[in-house]
Amino acid sequence: MDMNSSAQQNNNLPLLRISNLQTRFHTQDGVVHAVNGISYSLDSGEILGVVGESGCGKSVHALSIMRLIQIPPGEIADGEIWFEGRDLLKLSENEMRRLRGRDIAMVFQDPMTSLNPVYTVGFQICEALMLHMNMNRKQARERTIELLNLVGIPEPTKRIDNYPHQFSGGMRQRAMIAMALSCEPKLLIADEPTTALDVTIQAQIIDLVMNLQKEMGMSVMWITHDLGIVAEMVHKINVMYAGFIIEQGLVDDIYDETLHPYTKGLLGSLPSIDEAPGTKLISIPGLPPDLITLPSGCPFYARCTYRRDYCREERPELESVNANGHAVACWRWREI
Amino acid sequence: MTELISEDQLLTEFAVREHRSLWLDAWRRLISNRTAMLGLAIVAIFLLTAIGAHFFWEYDPTVDLDYNAKLLAPTIVRSDQSEKIHLFGTDKLGRDIFRRVVHGGWNSLRVGIIAVSISLIVGGILGLLAGFFESTDLNGVEQAVLTSLLGLGCGALPAWIANQPFQALLFMLLGLGSALMSTFMAHRQNLRKVLFGVIGMALGGLPGLMVAPLVGLVCAVVGFGIGIILAKPISGKAFSSFTMRVMDIILSFPSYLLAIAIVAFLGPGLEKGMIAIGFVGIPVYARLARSAVLSVSQKEYVLASQSIGESHGRILFRHIVPNILSPIIVQATMGLADAILSAAALGFLGLGAVPPIPEWGAMLGDSYKYLSSGAWWAVLFPGLAIMFSVLGFNLLGDGLRDALDPKMRL
Repeated sequence: MDMNSSAQQNNNLPLLRISNLQTRFHTQDGVVHAVNGISYSLDSGEILGVVGESGCGKSVHALSIMRLIQIPPGEIADGEIWFEGRDLLKLSENEMRRLRGRDIAMVFQDPMTSLNPVYTVGFQICEALMLHMNMNRKQARERTIELLNLVGIPEPTKRIDNYPHQFSGGMRQRAMIAMALSCEPKLLIADEPTTALDVTIQAQIIDLVMNLQKEMGMSVMWITHDLGIVAEMVHKINVMYAGFIIEQGLVDDIYDETLHPYTKGLLGSLPSIDEAPGTKLISIPGLPPDLITLPSGCPFYARCTYRRDYCREERPELESVNANGHAVACWRWREI
Repeated sequence: MTELISEDQLLTEFAVREHRSLWLDAWRRLISNRTAMLGLAIVAIFLLTAIGAHFFWEYDPTVDLDYNAKLLAPTIVRSDQSEKIHLFGTDKLGRDIFRRVVHGGWNSLRVGIIAVSISLIVGGILGLLAGFFESTDLNGVEQAVLTSLLGLGCGALPAWIANQPFQALLFMLLGLGSALMSTFMAHRQNLRKVLFGVIGMALGGLPGLMVAPLVGLVCAVVGFGIGIILAKPISGKAFSSFTMRVMDIILSFPSYLLAIAIVAFLGPGLEKGMIAIGFVGIPVYARLARSAVLSVSQKEYVLASQSIGESHGRILFRHIVPNILSPIIVQATMGLADAILSAAALGFLGLGAVPPIPEWGAMLGDSYKYLSSGAWWAVLFPGLAIMFSVLGFNLLGDGLRDALDPKMRL
């Protein structure tokens, strides 16, 4: 690629473009196909929600973007991850290390274990700043106090010297967010950051990230299994199932013109305030398929209420539905 | 800045306990534990008397002889046989046992501490690396360092056979070259192996030829093998399992027997004893460190530190090491008791300290023959010293385990 075309790429292309990403794990029982050729793109300043059940490859695909998959047993078998005109899968480990934290940052699910118990919270945030921003200890400390203030931790000058066990779960997650945002990344990957927190704290954390996103203008990828959470906050949604993206599109399209039976099932299983007390929650029967022996047809076949025999013959590809990028992988989306 | 939290929450979230560090917390738990304090007191007494005696109470074992006062019973008053008071009695050469027990403490504790340091440092580092690279692959620099070390280690064999130490360095360079050219002929592994084998054969054989044709032949064959081994780039997993299998091999020998064999090979002496006991202890620490690293590396904060772009060394020494210190400190304290006991055993067999140097085990070995003639004091006091020092370290180790156990934390 010459200079010209790479410059052009930076101007026109999205911040992140993933094509045909495939991640596998080689285990004793066989090869686990965790992510099976997913493709999508994310623009600067966009918020993307990635939803799906447990074990459908949401976190694995995020870790693949960061190249934090353990190899072995893991393996990124195929695909390209273009970030700002560079294919992350072709970078050396050292280049990748410089990029992690500075350009792409991540917030993890469990705030209880994602801070190192033997260091103060401030020390751990300072570390990221000194690593990427060339700050000395004093500057890093000042910036850390600012950051803790930004994420809404009271009395940051005092709390900076606290150990993680002196923080509550919500505060720890705030500290993790402060750490992730410390180097002003262009993309923040939030891997179920509110799952381990109770509902009121959940709302606070979501508000916090949304406000920070507006202020700093970064892109956010919000991974969750809760369609209710993402409805209010994201621009686009990827619905994942068994390592495939089975429906993607703008949030309004997904909610108002739901096409895939699985997405319908997910939306239907959300409890609603309007329902009469005693109404049974609707659930999707069955379990996701075994990722070692993937079915050759539609992965959702076994649980689908609209299935036909031909659905198990061949796997449906993502098919564009409208000009706004709404796409669905179902043979029968026109009929149902 | 935008106000994101309500006033109420400020209040609830601020109700946290006072600021205390991990070690201060552990120390408080330790001093509230009576048996641990007893252990600490015993250990402190032994350490202080041994250090005090060594520096402020001169003792020359080579001139300490008094045949007129041999095998005197303990006494606290002056008797007609000797003008000196012998609190613990005297031994077969008329030496004051109290003095020798106190000075023996210096030697016994020194053996214990140095032996444990040897096993702790070597075993700890091996276990740390083995555990860390079990699930992480080596990067270029680590690959180069390890392959060079492997070359150095393997090269020691032909260097020893041909008595040409520089050969080991040649093989180290071969290893380094192999790592630097890891992509060279990566698709033709067999050809690469043969090429490195031939280079290894030349490196081993030519210096060997200068000594004798037969030596040259043997070294060439060995060198060929080393070349083939070095040609294959090592992965983190391979390094880890190789290290741990070596540890298993050491563990498969009964530890006392192995220590005796090493001392028999090196020759008796306090320093040789330290090396032997230290070597035997290496696998214990390696396994402990590895298992601790394996469990800590699963923690999310290790992933989090990776995700902010920290290097292997930083993750290993900044994030993993402090979190595995507690079990290692406990094991080292317990290990001190073990090492003192092993040192005493070697001394008793005449393989540790060389007479007339005072050492508890050696004192027992010197005097047990006189038990039948009624000189119980000559074995009782060194025996008690061994017993109490071991007890002290064990109690302290137990207390430390309770104090440092992270499960007791919030």
